[in-house]
Amino acid sequence: MSKPTDLVQGTLDLLILKILAFEPQNGWAVGQRLKQLSSDVLQVSEGSLYPALHKLEQEGWISAEWRPSENNRRAKFYSLTRLGRRQLARETESWRRLSHAISAVVRLREV
Amino acid sequence: MRLEHWLYKLPLRLRSLFHRGEVENELDEELRDHLERDIAQRVRLGASPAEAERAARIALGGVEQQKEEVRDTRGLRPLENFVADIRYSLRALRRNPGFTAAAVLVLGLGLGASTAVFSVLDAVLFSELPYPDAARLVRVYQKNGPGNFWTLSVVDVQAIAEQQRSFDAFGVARWSSASLSGAGAPEQVAIGGVTAGFFTALGVTAAEGRLLEPRDDTPGAPAVVVLSHALAERALGGAAKAVGRSVTLDGVSHTVVGVLPPKRNELAGITADAWPALQLTRPPRRGPFGLRGYGRLKPGVSIEAAERDLAGISERIFPIWASSFQDKTARLFPVSLRTTIIGNADRSVGFFAGAVALVLLIAIANVGTLMLVRTSEREQELSVRAALGAARPRLARLVATECLTLALLAGVAGLGIAAAGISLVGSFAPNLPRQAEVGLDARAVGFLGLAALFSALLVSLSPLAQVLRRGTAASLVPDARRAGTSRSSNRTRAAFVIVEFALALPLLLGSGLLLKSFLQLQQVDPGFNPEGVGSVDIGLPVARYPNDTTRLRFWEQLVERVQRVPGVVATGITTSLPPDNGGDVNNFDLVAHPVADGTNQPVAPWVWVTNGFFDALGVELVDGRLFTIADSGSAPPVIVVSRAWAARYFPGEPVLGQQLIEGGCTSCPRTTVVGVVGDVHYLGLETRAEGVYAPLAQGGIRSGALLVRTNGAPGRVFPAVRAQFSALDPELPFAQEPLSDRLDASLADPRRYTAVLSAFAGVAVLLAALGIFGLMSYVVRQRRREIGVRIALGAQPKAVTRMIVVRGMRYALAGTAIGLVLAALQMRWLRSMLFQVAPTDPVALAGGAGVLLLAGFLACWLPGRRAARIKALEAISTE
Repeated sequence: MSKPTDLVQGTLDLLILKILAFEPQNGWAVGQRLKQLSSDVLQVSEGSLYPALHKLEQEGWISAEWRPSENNRRAKFYSLTRLGRRQLARETESWRRLSHAISAVVRLREV
Repeated sequence: MRLEHWLYKLPLRLRSLFHRGEVENELDEELRDHLERDIAQRVRLGASPAEAERAARIALGGVEQQKEEVRDTRGLRPLENFVADIRYSLRALRRNPGFTAAAVLVLGLGLGASTAVFSVLDAVLFSELPYPDAARLVRVYQKNGPGNFWTLSVVDVQAIAEQQRSFDAFGVARWSSASLSGAGAPEQVAIGGVTAGFFTALGVTAAEGRLLEPRDDTPGAPAVVVLSHALAERALGGAAKAVGRSVTLDGVSHTVVGVLPPKRNELAGITADAWPALQLTRPPRRGPFGLRGYGRLKPGVSIEAAERDLAGISERIFPIWASSFQDKTARLFPVSLRTTIIGNADRSVGFFAGAVALVLLIAIANVGTLMLVRTSEREQELSVRAALGAARPRLARLVATECLTLALLAGVAGLGIAAAGISLVGSFAPNLPRQAEVGLDARAVGFLGLAALFSALLVSLSPLAQVLRRGTAASLVPDARRAGTSRSSNRTRAAFVIVEFALALPLLLGSGLLLKSFLQLQQVDPGFNPEGVGSVDIGLPVARYPNDTTRLRFWEQLVERVQRVPGVVATGITTSLPPDNGGDVNNFDLVAHPVADGTNQPVAPWVWVTNGFFDALGVELVDGRLFTIADSGSAPPVIVVSRAWAARYFPGEPVLGQQLIEGGCTSCPRTTVVGVVGDVHYLGLETRAEGVYAPLAQGGIRSGALLVRTNGAPGRVFPAVRAQFSALDPELPFAQEPLSDRLDASLADPRRYTAVLSAFAGVAVLLAALGIFGLMSYVVRQRRREIGVRIALGAQPKAVTRMIVVRGMRYALAGTAIGLVLAALQMRWLRSMLFQVAPTDPVALAGGAGVLLLAGFLACWLPGRRAARIKALEAISTE
């Protein structure tokens, strides 16, 4: 089982925000999407999922809402807030810079 | 951006704080939902339900851990822990009601008393006077040397009004009393005759009607008056109804033009019910004085600039009036109004503040001891917690929170004690200025809070040190615990007890000194026998008694009528009443021993009397003669002096026939000494008994007191005196006061100081004794087994008791010795309150130390005796 620290610091937040940018989801679905989208490469522990979700909520980037779900019970759905959309743009940008920088370093040919 | 951010965050934080249950339930539900979905999916993929559930739980990594982590994201952890700690402390304190009650009461007493004194300090000394921009207000005096200030004359006031360049407004007041009639029975009320500038300078406004205007001051304008709210309510049925009505003051009808706001019956240190307009006419000479001048400095004008401005005026008017006023050094002089009102109140308030601070420190030391004993008793509990993994900082927080909780509880108790204490201030210190402003306001509560935090800090220091110092697992073993508990924590406890004794001693000494000084003051011979003597204050209205002749006729007729009343032994008129109504004080220059040029002339109480006064008061003639019918207003002025006066100014010389110049009037006829009488104190019992008597016939006085000596039954005689009085003038108010009351009242201040300090000292001794009692009881419990062994081996009960008492008294002695040093440092500021007692008085020193040590001895003896009664077998076999 991989630990959240194995992910680059703050990457989990970015992933969650990105997933929620498509449509509001409940916590379990967010975990499933994560696995699918990363073709099972990113094994995010469900153990770090909820603390991350609640942290994002406390920061005001996502908001939660109780809605009736398909099994006729209510479930907590998270959606992106306006602040969250801005935060996503910022984090995407910084991720892009970071990955470019790392790729550039990795591409260097040894002589 | 930041604001928008918080708009999202804040409601969530508040929700998790105040709707914790709801938030927790939602978390529960969310995690359960997750598990169910996960299990369902795993079953769909082919796992058995039991297997699926297990796998799902493992994947989630423990529901409770998840919850804890989620809770951490709320950012309220420290707060939640704090609340939990407080709850825990309250539970722990409830389990120990005796300890809790003692600690809360002791600390509450200290906090409450110091808060009460703080509110007094705050209202009297720290806060602004209750006038707009009060820093610009000054009072103007005449001054001819450091410390010698007096009031203004009409000449001064008119010169200031015409020439000054420093004030936005300037006004004067003359404080006196007048008989008020036209509203109920005639009564004597305090009045402040003021010019319009007085109200303008202070910046006060009317609650109803208007205040005075410059046209009211001009001579010949209709007589108008502004009333205090209280008088308008009492006599005229309310503030609104009073305006336009008229009241009679000293026989003159005044129209009420306005009423001051409630609580404004004191303005600039003058307490009065009625404020009539003062109309000043151009005077024929420089004096008399008696007007208080008040000014509001222009913005930006310093008090030094005003001083130069006023000095210039003094110099310009001096030559014009030189014939009636020869003191060339006298200057008009401004003093900040605040200074004149607070005066020496800071001394008495400082005195209380010092005493109360000592009591608070002793209370803190006491609770500190209690807390240490308690922590030591919890040693085992704390060891178990430590062994189970509680980190030392966590344990420290537990102890600190307990101290804080205790201090907060004590703060709540202190609030009640402070409120009660503030309501007592009026009766303890009736002469305190600005009393109406003293109250338990936000600042006082803030002070209480800070003091509580401060005491929590002090109280928690040593238990904290104890917790942090202890080894981790050392003391689970009972024996190790007993041997180890730490010599150092015992030392800290002993230090607390020593501090308590050291702080209690100065209080005890102070109260001993005050008590001795008070007893000495009571021994002073006032110079008269007050039994059966009563007095009536009388002020003759100018309207009906316009000149010296009519006034003198009234005084003579009154004495004649009262003399005839059965039961009256002697009666007379006087302008001063002993022991502390100085009346007039006059300066004089001895013809035989004139003062050097440019130095101040001596002054003495100057009392105008009729001959009957000496008999009525019981003052004996020592030498020469009293006054005769020949000493009339047109005869050469004569005086009779007291023995102390004669001894001071003519030591070893014959005093009869000596002459002096009265009041600096070089053109007046010389005054001759014709007699010497016994000493009477006019300026308080603690001052010297010099006095000069002049015949009433030569004074033309307007107000004085009728003094009547009865044959021992004033209650039966005075109604007849009153009938004679009213027959002579039915409009004058009549209120009789026994002279013994005046004598008692003059001792009231020293009595109060003594009572308050004795109360504080009593509390301090009690706390110190409690402290050492607690400590020695603890020592006995701690050494129970060892003492049991000693007794089993044949130690005598007496020897056991002695062992405990000797140990305890070591601390008491050490504390008392340190206390003596502290007292020596601090006693010099008691000196000004003492009368014929040196601050190093050996009786007071020995007495104070003795009382403290005796209390300490008793407090050690009780646990010592308990130690002697320990049953050897029981003590050795338990534990």
